[in-house]
Amino acid sequence: MMTSEAKAAKGHIDLRDIRVSFTQNGAALDAVRGVTLDVKPGEFVSVVGPSGCGKSTLLNIVAGFLKPSAGEARVDGLPISGPGADRGVVFQQYSLFPWLKVRENVEFGLKMQGMGRAERESRARTLLGLAGLLSFENHYPDQLSGGMKQRVGIVRALATGPQVLLMDEPFGALDAQTRVVMQEILTNMWQQLRLSVLFITHDIEESIFLSDKVYVMTARPGRIKAEIPIPLPRPRTAEMTSSPTFMALHRQLKALIREESLAAMGGELKEGGLGQDWHLGEQGVGAL
Amino acid sequence: MATAIRMRSLADPPVAGAAAAEAAVQPANLRNVEEVMTPPLAIKRHDVGGAPPVAPAVAQPAMGARLLGRLRTQLGSLALSVLSIGLLLGFWYLGTEYRWDFYIRFTNVPTPGEVYTEFMGLIGSAKFQANIGISLGRIMLGFCIATGLGVLLGLLCGRYALLKGLLFPALEVLRPIPAIAWVPISIMLWPTTETSIVFITFIGAFFPILLNTLHGVAAVDPVLIRAARCLGAGEVALMTRVILPGALPHIFTGLAVGMGVAWVSLIAAEMISGQFGVGYFTWEAYSLIEYPHIVIGMLVIGVLGLLCSGGIRLLSRLVMPWQRVGTKENA
Repeated sequence: MMTSEAKAAKGHIDLRDIRVSFTQNGAALDAVRGVTLDVKPGEFVSVVGPSGCGKSTLLNIVAGFLKPSAGEARVDGLPISGPGADRGVVFQQYSLFPWLKVRENVEFGLKMQGMGRAERESRARTLLGLAGLLSFENHYPDQLSGGMKQRVGIVRALATGPQVLLMDEPFGALDAQTRVVMQEILTNMWQQLRLSVLFITHDIEESIFLSDKVYVMTARPGRIKAEIPIPLPRPRTAEMTSSPTFMALHRQLKALIREESLAAMGGELKEGGLGQDWHLGEQGVGAL
Repeated sequence: MATAIRMRSLADPPVAGAAAAEAAVQPANLRNVEEVMTPPLAIKRHDVGGAPPVAPAVAQPAMGARLLGRLRTQLGSLALSVLSIGLLLGFWYLGTEYRWDFYIRFTNVPTPGEVYTEFMGLIGSAKFQANIGISLGRIMLGFCIATGLGVLLGLLCGRYALLKGLLFPALEVLRPIPAIAWVPISIMLWPTTETSIVFITFIGAFFPILLNTLHGVAAVDPVLIRAARCLGAGEVALMTRVILPGALPHIFTGLAVGMGVAWVSLIAAEMISGQFGVGYFTWEAYSLIEYPHIVIGMLVIGVLGLLCSGGIRLLSRLVMPWQRVGTKENA
């Protein structure tokens, strides 16, 4: 039943046994090894893991910036051959074109598709209206705050109507308050659009709040350590972050990632007793 | 009430006699402290009204004061400029009026008055105007060709390493040769004096423009190129809509430098091989012992150069309006 539905809808990301290796000082190293990952049409999937684990590498493969050394990467059954407008990408750094006004930034992809001026304009304005940015349409990006810039970035990625949205730590550069608001805006937008999202983050709370499924990666070489379905109901609200289910998921994910963070930081920490001493907990790592 | 009192007893330094009694009460005290630490929340909300996101208007209330402040600083710098130029003129006047001769000889240098009178006589002369027009025409032609070719090659070489590898070794050999050194070979190469002068002007402007464009291409944020490709931009769109505008600030630096070098090259070329032009006029004045004309030629060259740089600055503002907006708020 699920499969027939999946076939009809589009935006199915399918990574199988992906390996990415590079050479450093003549030795071959794996950044990512044996990663199999699946985003069903209309599903919101996050990948979390310690920094340097290759989560962004996975996104770059799906975006078409990077070819895997081994394995298969497909979107809707077709091998990924390069970047394209069928997969929208939102980057961590604000990637708006500084020489274009907000609306012109949103229109960029539509212009590339050869859409006429009037249609482009009305479409961009509709989307900007949804994101609450219409009154800023004639501003240059440098006149906007970080949160606004990133909203424009999301709107721009959505303008061409992609089936897949790839987000690489999109709120990583924002302050905590703005980030929470942006998460709510994103989950609302996704609720309406129902496209597949692959979301890269190191923020556990963010990944639980937004996702249907969370993949946890190991320290380098990055492998999938766990796949955790998030059974929280939709639509998601800010209140859910204090529900017992949320808390339990948070604890579980935190423990999983903590192991990997320690591994990534090197064995000497474990020998010092920190690896076993769970009571030192958050403060122990924070103090480092 | 009792809670408050026990709190106090915890906070106060224990009196020596009461120390034992204090210790006995300690556990109860602690429990009460915990109770006090988690009181029912009494958040008082202030009515601030809804704040829908509205584009910030350019700060209006401070407008008058800001304008006044700007006027004041501008008046100050204007006064300094007048003083600076006045000192220069004064030095020139004194030197020439009293025929100073202390190693540097002012004996044959015309006075400001002589130059002014001569200039008034010259300004209406068709020949003088033609000289200015011809120099400007040569600059425009040479500079425009240099801009077109320099920017085009800069963009292509910046994007395609193979092309850069092919062209740059040769260009690097030619680059250190000053434009003036090209004069003899240029006269041999080109069929007319006119084309050879334009060529030398071109050579002067070309290299700064090319190198700055190349710099500009390298400075374009790679994430913008990625973003454009994700939005479906092909190679041509990438060049014209991302790399070119991204490189514009550097390109304009190249244009400003190029314009300066173009004038240097033009005047030198006109002095050596020319007929007509301001450089030729200046050199001819020396040959014909019309000393005031030398200074007039120099001043005209200075003013024209200034106007051309000003024109480029103006153009850069028109072409890059986004450069003038600052970061107004930060998230």
